[in-house]
This record gives sequence, C-alpha cells and structure tokens, in this order.
Amino acid sequence: MDFRPDPTLDAFRQEVRAFLDHKLPTDLRRGKDSARSARPDLVRWQRILNDNGWGAPYWAAEHGGTGWSVQQRMIFDEESTAAGAPSQDNFAQKLVGPVLNHFATPVQKAEHLPPIFRGERLWCQGFSEPGSGSDLASLRTQALRDGDHYVVNGQKIWTSYGHESDWIFMLVRTDTTVRKQAGISFLLVNMKSPGITVRPIVSIDGCHHLNETFFDNVRVPVGNLIGAEGEGWKITKFLLNNEHASTADLPTLRRFMRRIRQVIGATRTGDEPLISRHEVALRLARHEAELEAIATMVRRVAAMESDHSPAAHAMGSMLKIRGTELQQKLSEFMVELLGDYGAVAYPGSHAAQIPAEALPMQDELRGIAAEMFFRRASTIYGGTSEVQRGIIAKMLFQL
Amino acid sequence: MNFNLDSEQQILQDSVHRFVERAYGFDARASLVAAGKGGSAANWSTFAENGWLAAALPEAHGGLGGSVTDTALIAQQLGRGLVIEPYLGCAVLAPQTMAAAGTGTQQARVLPSVADGSKRLALAYSELPARGDPAVVHTVATPSSGGYVLNGRKTLVLGAQDADWCIVSAKIAPDPEGISLFLVDSRAAGLSMQALHLHDGSRAADVLLQDVRVAQDDLLGAPGAGLPALRHGLAHGIAALCAELVGGMERAIELTAEYLKTRHQFGVAIGSFQALQHRMADMAAELELARSMLYALLAALQNEGPALQQHRASQAKAFVGRAARFVCGQAIQLHGGIGMTEEYAVGHYFKRAIVAEILFGTADFHDARCASWLQEASLQEAWTA
Repeated sequence: MDFRPDPTLDAFRQEVRAFLDHKLPTDLRRGKDSARSARPDLVRWQRILNDNGWGAPYWAAEHGGTGWSVQQRMIFDEESTAAGAPSQDNFAQKLVGPVLNHFATPVQKAEHLPPIFRGERLWCQGFSEPGSGSDLASLRTQALRDGDHYVVNGQKIWTSYGHESDWIFMLVRTDTTVRKQAGISFLLVNMKSPGITVRPIVSIDGCHHLNETFFDNVRVPVGNLIGAEGEGWKITKFLLNNEHASTADLPTLRRFMRRIRQVIGATRTGDEPLISRHEVALRLARHEAELEAIATMVRRVAAMESDHSPAAHAMGSMLKIRGTELQQKLSEFMVELLGDYGAVAYPGSHAAQIPAEALPMQDELRGIAAEMFFRRASTIYGGTSEVQRGIIAKMLFQL
Repeated sequence: MNFNLDSEQQILQDSVHRFVERAYGFDARASLVAAGKGGSAANWSTFAENGWLAAALPEAHGGLGGSVTDTALIAQQLGRGLVIEPYLGCAVLAPQTMAAAGTGTQQARVLPSVADGSKRLALAYSELPARGDPAVVHTVATPSSGGYVLNGRKTLVLGAQDADWCIVSAKIAPDPEGISLFLVDSRAAGLSMQALHLHDGSRAADVLLQDVRVAQDDLLGAPGAGLPALRHGLAHGIAALCAELVGGMERAIELTAEYLKTRHQFGVAIGSFQALQHRMADMAAELELARSMLYALLAALQNEGPALQQHRASQAKAFVGRAARFVCGQAIQLHGGIGMTEEYAVGHYFKRAIVAEILFGTADFHDARCASWLQEASLQEAWTA
C-alpha cells in the first residue's frame, strides 16, 4: 500500500486541462444535465476529441482507443465534467464499443467502429422489456431466422435516447426450447429499419429521454448478430462487468458538491450566509465525508479492474449502491437549498414552453430539481440496489 | 496510489495476525480481561521484539522509520482480535505526540526506550469537560524555581497504569493562551492514578496531579506551542483506532456470515432469508466505505498539510466510528439472543465500538469540527471573491 501521489498522473491531469482550455468551445461548456448531451453538442465534441486522438478514451490502443489506464480515464472524466464539456455517447463508448472490440468479426468492426469515432452513429440499448426488468433473462422479444435475416418481433422499454439514436444493440430470444439464458442472442439493429416504432415516455424529471420501442416484423441481416446464437447472455455479463468504477458517477458527485458549496456560500438567509446555519454546515460536512470515502473507494475499485474475483465484483456492487444513494442525497440537498423556489417547477432544458415572463432566478435554478428527480432512476438502472445487495450476499458470503 | 500490500507490509500483517491467532483466542482473551491488567508484559515484549512498537517512529531515535500505514496495518490486525494491550495509547498516541512536540534531545531521552519496549509512555490530554477536545485544558502549570508545578485531573489516559511517563497538557499560569506539553515521571511526588476499567476489557486511568514538580527541560518544545503536536499525535491515534475498527468490523461480519449458515429456523438456514442477506450486504458496504475513509486519512497524513490532515482525521473518526457501531450492532441483531451473551464474541466487538466512539471525541463532535472548517473555508472564499 502506497498512498503517495503519482507525479505522472498529475502531469496527465495538466495535459487534459490544457486540452480542455484550448479545444473546448465556450458555447459547448454548458455541462450535461442528464446522461447524454443533446445530439448536436455531443457530435461536435466527439469530432474535436477524435481529431486529438481521444475519440475512444476507454478503449485499449489496439482498438484505436487512447490506451489510458483506469486512473487516467477517471482524470479525463473528472476534468471534462468540471470544465462543463458535453458527454460522449456512453452507450457506444462504454457498452457496445467494448463488446464489438471483444466479440465482433473484422467485417462488423469495419462497419460499426469508424462511425463511433467520428460521432456519426449514436447508439441506444434494448435490454429491458415490460415483463423483464431485474429478471432480464426472461425477455421475450423474438428473432426468428428467415434465410439471411432475422425477423424481430416484440417490445423494449426504457430505451434512453432511442428517439435520437441511429442504431440499437439489443437482446433477443433466438431459441425458446433451451434454458432461458441460453436462448438469448445479441443483435445490432438499424433504428431506421421498417417496422420499428419509438414512443416517448416522459419521466418524473419532466424530460423525454426514455422511450418504448416496438418491433413489428423487423428484418435484420444475420450479419448483425454478435458472437454466436445463444451467446447473448455471456456477452451481457461481459458488458455489465465493464467499468464498475464508473457506476458511482464520481464526476457528477463532485459537480453536485461544487454546486452546493457555491449556493451555500452565495445565498443569504435572514442576515447571514446559508453556510452559517449550523444544520446546513453539519449536513454538508456529513455529505462531504461520505463523498471522500466514495472517491477513495472508486480508486480502489478502479485498481481492481482486471480482478474478476467475487470480492471485486461485490465491491463494484457496493459502490453502485452507495454512489447512487449519494447522488440522490446531494441532489435533494440542492433542491432544499433553493428555499421556497425549490418547490417551483422550472422549465427544464428539454421543456417546450418557456413562459413569456421570466420566473425569479430561472437561469440559476433551471435543471436542479429535474436533476434530482432524474437521479431517482440511478438506484434502479444498471441493476437495482436490491439486486446489488443480492449479488454482494452471494459473492461475499455465499448466501 | 497503490492499494496492494508490498512484501514487507505483507510480512508485517502476517506476523501480527499470527500473534492474534496464537495469543488472543476467545478464551485466552477472556482470561486476560479477567486478570484486569489491561494485557500482559509478555505480550508487550512480543510487540517490542517484532518491531511493532518501533514501526512508525523516527530512525534517529530507535524507530524503524516506517509510516502511519504500518501503524494502521498493525492496528487492524489487533482490532480483529480485540487485543486489549495498550498499543493505541502507548505505541501510537503518546510516542507520535512526543515525536512532534519534543526537541531532538527530549526525543532521544524517551523514544529509544519506548521503541524497544523497555519503557512506556502515555498521553494525558483529556479532561472531563473537554470530551476529547484537546483544546479544552484546565490543568495548570505554574512556573516555580527553574521548573513548573502541575495541578489538575486528566481523564481516560490509555495505558496509564503501566506507563513510566505521561505527557500532560496544561496551560502555563497566568497566561490563558496556548497549551503546553510536559513530560511527567509517573512516580513523581503528587501524581496519583485512579484505575478505570473500560467496557471492552481494556484499561485506562485518571491521572491526578497535585503540586507535581517538573523541570524546565520537561516542557516539550516551546511554551504554549503544544496544541499542533497534540493534534498530530491524535490524528495518528485516530488512524490507528479507525484501522482497529475496520479489523473489528471484518471479524464481526465473518462471524455473522458463518452463523447465518449454521443457524436454522423454520427448517432452513436463516441466511436464506433475503432480509438478512441484504442487511449483510449493507454491513459489508459500510465496512468497505469505512476502509476507504481510513485510506483517505492515511493518504492525507502522508501528503497534505496540517489543516487538511485534521479535516480528514475528523471525517474518518466520525465516519468509521458510525460504521463500526452500525456493523457491530447489526452483528448482534443478526445473531439474535446468542449475540447478547458474554460468552460469544460479537457483543465484544460492539463494546469496543462504543468505547471507540468516546475516545478522541464522538462522531457528532468531529462532524461539528468539519462543519466549522467548511464554514470558515466558505466565508474565506466569499471574502476573497
């Protein structure tokens, strides 16, 4: 154990900062207010990153990525978020990209990887179904072989950004006669295929990023199957085991904390700054300590990246539970700090109608409550906290 | 940062682990507790022979020159075995305060014999109104013919009964500002002790000072300048205590996991119940967050300035202390009735967590310190903005 800082990482942080200072356009520095930035922003930023050789920060050099260590990636994420940079397409970067690198044929790679680097093809994920949430392996969307095609029928739900994505990677049932996990395959589908219907789901943050996606006799070339038929579950486990350290979303936690300290320092209550109120300072102190513990835990989990032991798996689940719970606590704290206006439904950045007469403090406060409502999803997606607790009990204690 | 043990650290951890296995089985420990001496001289000699007392002391004064990481590795293993020897008080708190407060000559006088185990040093800093806050001191040092006369009552001095010296914090009369540290011989005329038996079987004492005379040279460092050294010693003590609690939580969780597989109710092992599985998961998560917080403190103690060190120490004391009470309390809960008995180990881990909560200031006290620090930082930012 050695707790001294690594000077090469400090140098790397400086390099990332210098890049952001010079290359991140001012009009793109608005920060992300949900998991994925608006498409035009994201695409512009992806091109800038790619021109700098940073088009795939999470991938190994052999796959055209930066080849950064986990610590370097975390620094890149932290600094990008702090600078207010748009997000990348995380479905491509962190989910389908690594799957393609690992399981795809050379032909499939040549078809799908270059558009990811260039920001020309955005991805969404088709896993959950109305009847298959935590019990994902029970999924029923069917892909029947018909000559050189699969014919896909069924329904996916919670398709984040499905309405502004070009392709979907999805799990389909190709065999109903075997064990439920063994009949699942991993398929790539062009969202413009005839027979696909995307319907919006407005979530409690007042925003539209979720969708239901219907598949009605959608014909998909067999060349779009990743791996072999029936390997979908194996690929899914690979995909979900990737990037445990990022589930806590440390850059976002730090962004929340910076915002909270800003608001607490600048806002007055009665004739004193909010920070002078002991209950406010005390709550801040407790959240700050928890954030520090989580930040160190993120480093520990990141350092275990190549460790596929049950203990490492359990650590990832713990981080998911506690990191997402802190996202909820901090975003709720932010809303409370707004005082009376914490109760006001400000139009979010995605809302259609902006009132003619500006609401008080509308520019400062827009998005804060939406962020808080959105974070309720964090303990549900990617395996609910309850599923994670089950994983911990099984992995650590064989219960 | 690297979270894996290097080979020397592994050897250190293994050696303490083996000692705990050999000397601190449940029955052996129970006999040591029943003997009421707060450990044994033989065990202390083992600590000395293995270099555990010298591990984090400066090489110039008989130490091995290791870091607080070594202290934490030792304390964690001792915590797993609920070892009652006064490692925390006499091998961390007092010597680290000495190393920060004493002049070279003073350190040379004391530390070599502390490092080799031939003498013991305790830290008498707390008083009843202070509740662990080192800044609250009513003990008075009155200048008198080339030295000082000390009067006051120091509370909860860890390992005091076998200490050859105590470091005593006092204010020099008539100046109310500044805290000074004095090296006091335990056999000095006017010094008496009242033994205290703690819930966890360890021992401490109140140290009563009635016109105790010390020489000018027994004032450690400069007059009125003792508080930073005291805080430094306490930060190391907090690191050791947190490491101990992490070890204790590990063991309490292991015991509970075993029990859930062997205890049957309703015809099945109770570990098959989801309510209990999820509680175990929460306990394990709490432990790993606490361990992470400990690492954050160890990092700060080796990389940061005094202000951030103190902030992290307070964060860790509050966070790890709460975690230990939760985990050890739930370990009793998941055991049911058996967890309530003196003859079963888990209850003793909870007792240690309760004693630990009182030592060096409670979680609430340290939360409040963190809050004030944040208030000052924020107001300063606003001022400079």
